[in-house]
Amino acid sequence: MNQLIIDGVTKQFGALKVLQSCDLTVERGSVVTLLGPSGCGKTTLLRSIAGFVTPDAGRIRVKGQDISRLPPNRRDVGYVFQNYALFPHLTCRDNIAYGLVVRRVPKAEIARRVSQALDLIALAAFADRYPKQLSGGQQQRVAIARALVLEPQVLLLDEPFNALDAQLRLSMQVELRKLIDRVGITSIFVTHDQQEAMALSDRVAIMRGGRIEQIGSPLEIYDRPRSCFVADFIGRANLMPTQVRAGRTEGPQAIAAALPDGPATLVARPENIDLTPGSGPGWPGKVTFLTALGPVIEYEVDCGFSVPVRAALPRHAGVETFEPGALVTARIRDEAAAVVLPGEPNHA
Amino acid sequence: MSGPRQMISLGDRLARGMLIALTVMSIVLLVAPSLIVIAISFEPRGYIAFPPSGFSLRWYWALLERQQLLDSILVSLRISVMVMVVCLVLGIPAAFAGTRGRFPAKTAFNAFLLAPQMMPGMVIGIASLFFGAYISFRASDLMLVLSLSVFCLPFVVRIVMARLAGLDPLLDEASANLGAGKFETFFRVTLPQLAPAAFAGAAFTFIEAFDNVTVSLFTSDVRARPLPVELYYLVQFESSPLIAAISSLEIGLSLVVMLVIARAVGLERFGR
Repeated sequence: MNQLIIDGVTKQFGALKVLQSCDLTVERGSVVTLLGPSGCGKTTLLRSIAGFVTPDAGRIRVKGQDISRLPPNRRDVGYVFQNYALFPHLTCRDNIAYGLVVRRVPKAEIARRVSQALDLIALAAFADRYPKQLSGGQQQRVAIARALVLEPQVLLLDEPFNALDAQLRLSMQVELRKLIDRVGITSIFVTHDQQEAMALSDRVAIMRGGRIEQIGSPLEIYDRPRSCFVADFIGRANLMPTQVRAGRTEGPQAIAAALPDGPATLVARPENIDLTPGSGPGWPGKVTFLTALGPVIEYEVDCGFSVPVRAALPRHAGVETFEPGALVTARIRDEAAAVVLPGEPNHA
Repeated sequence: MSGPRQMISLGDRLARGMLIALTVMSIVLLVAPSLIVIAISFEPRGYIAFPPSGFSLRWYWALLERQQLLDSILVSLRISVMVMVVCLVLGIPAAFAGTRGRFPAKTAFNAFLLAPQMMPGMVIGIASLFFGAYISFRASDLMLVLSLSVFCLPFVVRIVMARLAGLDPLLDEASANLGAGKFETFFRVTLPQLAPAAFAGAAFTFIEAFDNVTVSLFTSDVRARPLPVELYYLVQFESSPLIAAISSLEIGLSLVVMLVIARAVGLERFGR
């Protein structure tokens, strides 16, 4: 069942088209991430769902009800702000209780639900502290509990890990995903961090220039990017220019392509590039650089393209290692490559 | 290498020298006179002398027998409280409009709000008096309250504006997201955070209204003079330590109010 349907949402600030007819469907209980570089419109889309931004066109429906015209305080949608926006004059407990108090929920029930929420985020011992007396990670948990205690239809999170340091970020991501699964709430994250998107979500929507460029599961997007932009934004990719002729690419390896004849780009992940010594079927080249990362060795191979081909080879018995200067042949293993229309890669 | 370093330390030394000079000046010009006044108030004899010839509370007791003075203290207290209320009721919404509002000529509006602070009190006093005469509105308690409110409004507006500018606007969105309407957000989120600033503005307004002469001289009711005006007339005819005793009490009152503000919010916030 679809919990949230975004239909043709468009927003323009002055001459700037921030959202250009965005469509998105989110299933009940699933976690979707809006991923993209800054300025791609992801936060504006999230704020439109919460009602902080009024779209120029399009509709937003939650559980079948059109909420596009409702003011923010009448939408049953939780929001976790990037800086958490906890009320500094209220304790942790009163912050969580805020929404219930505003809704005139009976006192006894407020007390019960708030203590439940505090247990959920394991902060019962900190209930009477003020936000500034809590660590960043604890503040984040309070912000999440404050939204969850109202049992909203959808939980929106705007870069919730931005304010945390790298180490805490990783453990909080896992904790948060577990928490979301336990509560079973439909959630939408906004992030510019592709690893975060991969770790947290069931589906990822890649945004660019106010449009949703591709939606799919993290692995789908990783394996079958539909554009150079997506390929480059999620993980690392070799982008090799090629020509499509009758549904296959030209060159040493003919790879099936659902594109019309003409120029195209071959997208291959470094771990799908195999290197063999000497010449053979594939792209001949010369090793120019290598990085020993531990589990894998990464090679840069000059195959005559404008940028070197990168290959990540596992380091175990039977896999040959090469020195800089070695002549090798690069091949795409198992034809694990996508063929897309040529385009400017992104380096944001 | 050594050149710039020497220059920096020279600048540092200059700054330190200025700071010391400023401190000495404020002690000599502000603190010392107050201390001298307090010392004089304990003079047992009937005329002003420094150092006092002894220690006596005679003039403080004498105060209690001067009905006119006691009345003027009551007038001042009453007027100051009213001015404080008027300034809070008008100043907080005005500060809101001046900070958060979006309307044409907002800069001009803000300059206008703070303008009375740039104007000498005497000008406001005389202007109020003349304008009052023009519309047959006589010097009275009401006129005194109104003219002092004009004079004091910038205190509240400025302090509250500074605080408002420092508030996270996302808190309003958070409140709305949690289901609160605009009014509820104001009373539950914004106002509690403005309280210290409003409190400090109120205290400053109170002190200013309590010992203002320049405006009050022109707009107060002749039959119910506030304390500063009463003192102004008194000094012309009387030079007993009685004046010093009243002044000492006023210094004490200001000190108490300042201490309360410092305890509640921290004084340094109002430097800004």
